[in-house]
Amino acid sequence: MTDLELLKNRVVLESDRVYSVSSMDVPGTYPGVDDTWDIERFKKTFKVVISELTKGNIEFDLIGIDASIANAFRRILIAEVPSMAIEDVFILNNTSIMHDEVLAHRLGLIPIKADPNDFSFRWETAQKNGNTQGPTDADTIVFKLQVKCTNKKGAPKDDSLEPSELYDNSSVYSGQMIWSPQGRQEEFFKNSPPRPVYDDILITKLRPNQEIDLELHCVKGIGKDHAKFSPVATASYRLLPDIIITKPILGKDAEKFQKCFPEGVVEVFVNKDGEKEARVVNPRKDTVSRECLRHAEFKDKVKLTRVRDHFIFNVESVGAIPPQRLLPDAVKVLIEKCKVLKRSLAQINQAN
Amino acid sequence: MNAPDRFELFVLGEGQKKLTITPDTKLPNAATFTIQKEDHTVGNMLRMQLLKNKKVLFAGYKVPHPLEHCIILKIQTTPDTTPEAMLMEAFDELIKEFSTIRNKFEVIFFFFFFFFFFFFSINIFFFYIFNLE
Repeated sequence: MTDLELLKNRVVLESDRVYSVSSMDVPGTYPGVDDTWDIERFKKTFKVVISELTKGNIEFDLIGIDASIANAFRRILIAEVPSMAIEDVFILNNTSIMHDEVLAHRLGLIPIKADPNDFSFRWETAQKNGNTQGPTDADTIVFKLQVKCTNKKGAPKDDSLEPSELYDNSSVYSGQMIWSPQGRQEEFFKNSPPRPVYDDILITKLRPNQEIDLELHCVKGIGKDHAKFSPVATASYRLLPDIIITKPILGKDAEKFQKCFPEGVVEVFVNKDGEKEARVVNPRKDTVSRECLRHAEFKDKVKLTRVRDHFIFNVESVGAIPPQRLLPDAVKVLIEKCKVLKRSLAQINQAN
Repeated sequence: MNAPDRFELFVLGEGQKKLTITPDTKLPNAATFTIQKEDHTVGNMLRMQLLKNKKVLFAGYKVPHPLEHCIILKIQTTPDTTPEAMLMEAFDELIKEFSTIRNKFEVIFFFFFFFFFFFFSINIFFFYIFNLE
């Protein structure tokens, strides 16, 4: 790789600094290189790889996009992909030791399994119905939480026992929330009734004769408004590390070099001359600790870099939206944003 | 008490326009755009897309104040076009780019899912493509 290519495609890490960080692929930066954006070229160079998928987590690579786009995805995932959460809590009775507002806050953070696409925002329905305030079946899910703690029948009078053995309903869990369908919801959500994603989230604890009687209203919202509406637990990206060995690292140094990296990054093999030599096998696993640059013997033999347009995304879903649907949802939000802006610009152009 | 409403972050105020244009009086082919209720997400993306256009001489954005939910975008172009036209082009390009990304992701996911269920019942399945050099 020539020096120019290195600067163009890589972020370079040295022991005391990181350089060549920002992307310079705009027209006019390099003589003889036309960097004008072109959809056909983008279609050819852009790649997606899905490398891991579990129930709540997805890891995928977006190769060949600009950092501003990757960062837009991350920001949109965290703050602007809508999801449902409890917003209003009507407290009919609360004799537990937990204060009303603390209880309401805890309830708000419970992830709700309901497809946000099936609902509209409250302000949308308000606009449609001519600003008549009040929830409708198109924008609100209602849950009831009515729990009273009582002494367990026939329980021994022994203080050393667990509260769960002495009393009924000593702990209130999210699974005890009961969906109460409104309007046409019962028919519409026959196959997938809204419920908390996890049934074992502890909400509060009660003792005999304490009770809570609540009505919970879930609405659609976005993470910008409140973090409880965010559909992701984490959404982050990193650049793919790339370790370039410029001069062969031989003998004992090879083993030392291998130990500078996490397991599986560097391998020691026997080369043609029967000597031990180090080579890079899986730079993806590298944490880029830059340990190898602390040793004088490796200083001129290795270049630590990151590929500037290779983004490794790690997105963990809260559970309401399956992880593989998060990126398409984020893209949808972004396209919608662009379309709104385009429309308002077209309007202005027409007026002039 | 006097805290601003939370929805002010993303719902347009009454009579507020999403986008306004102020032509620059001192520079030729330059304009300042004010976009309401947007932040660095859109600002940085637009700036980058505009810079990738040969006809754009200058593109920059700022968020004037953390409590004002708007961005200010400045564009200067070559004499054969206008900032408005360039911004329009940037929107079109971005929409195309996003559609490509979504389509590719969904196609790849479809294949991934296929492999995932029919060939491996283990939870995690890795595959890498590395052709960096």
